[in-house]
Amino acid sequence: MRTKIVSNTSLYKWTKNFANLQSKFYAEKYKLKRIHDIEQFIVEKKFKRVYHVEQTRLDINIPACKSFQECDLVLVTHQGYSRFSCSGLIKQIKQWTNNGKHLYICLNRHYLNIDNSKIPLKLSDDYQTAILEWLQQSLGNYTVQELSDRYIDKGKHFTWSVPDKHYYIWKN
Amino acid sequence: MLNNDRHNYIRYRIGRIKHEYWLRNRKNKQEKLLDSFDNFVIKNLKPGNTCVYGCAGYYLEDWIKDLTVVEQWDIVKKIYPKAHIIKQRKDLFNTFGCSFDNFIVTNARGDHWVNLDGLEEHIGFYAKTIKEDGLLFYTFRDTQIPEWNRLTTNHYDYFFDWAINIWKTTGMHCVWKDIKFADRTNPFAMDENPDTTNGNIKFIFAKNREYLKINYA
Repeated sequence: MRTKIVSNTSLYKWTKNFANLQSKFYAEKYKLKRIHDIEQFIVEKKFKRVYHVEQTRLDINIPACKSFQECDLVLVTHQGYSRFSCSGLIKQIKQWTNNGKHLYICLNRHYLNIDNSKIPLKLSDDYQTAILEWLQQSLGNYTVQELSDRYIDKGKHFTWSVPDKHYYIWKN
Repeated sequence: MLNNDRHNYIRYRIGRIKHEYWLRNRKNKQEKLLDSFDNFVIKNLKPGNTCVYGCAGYYLEDWIKDLTVVEQWDIVKKIYPKAHIIKQRKDLFNTFGCSFDNFIVTNARGDHWVNLDGLEEHIGFYAKTIKEDGLLFYTFRDTQIPEWNRLTTNHYDYFFDWAINIWKTTGMHCVWKDIKFADRTNPFAMDENPDTTNGNIKFIFAKNREYLKINYA
């Protein structure tokens, strides 16, 4: 028997289907509250053309449009953006919200500041509060509203299906 | 939650990605895949008994003699009948006593989603089964550890300070570390922290011993 030493081998391929995979853990059909909340938000705010930036496929009922240029709301559930550096994410948010577009972004709290950068802002010791403060302080002339529930995530909240921290952002 | 073999296997498999090595190695008897970090672990094992806990360690049986595989889920017994199924860590000592020269826990999903106090408690249970001078190879991902502030905390210091202090409660001294985070020279890169298979935070602890000569060869 020969041994082949391997590293960085891709051992799984289920990122896109992860939500679907998790949904099959239960006999009953269900809808994640976070998805329901997004759908309700879009109905209540009367958005008509939503450009959805996604990675994990979600069974979400929204008036989706295919073109970023045409949309009135950008919905981001792709958790790869949570892995941008903090400065990169702020730049990306500004790019999405150019030309008056509104943004609903879902961030995975467990990825933020992935590169261990020092954030030169005065932020709360409470992590969930600190995330909102970081967005608000970094996006000075924007409105940032938190729409997510507060809880300690102990791995049972489907965060890798739908990122858990939700913010509604627009340029004033 | 469903409870049948198919469901339990899928849940187990999603969380223990090294099971994929075992599947691939079963198909190719001529050439077997060994993860580079596991190769490093193997080169640094002490002679004697080795326990691998909760991380599909059965795939290592071609390289490690006197290997005891312990998992928490009954389904593993159907995949690998020699596995010991121990659901509570406190029962490790009741089952094995203080008998292991090496103990391996590599990015074990069952250990995660507790804060650092929780990890320390897990390690306390492992330590009871490890002989004097014995080694614990312990790795995880920062993204699976809750209850800390990623925006105001130096990530490196947070985990390293924890590691060098757990000897006070467990007797396990940190004798080697490898802590890496993603490079964001490109601020728009989306890759994960390094080594999602083994975890980006790796330690070797030694029981009541403060130094270990590491074999990097």
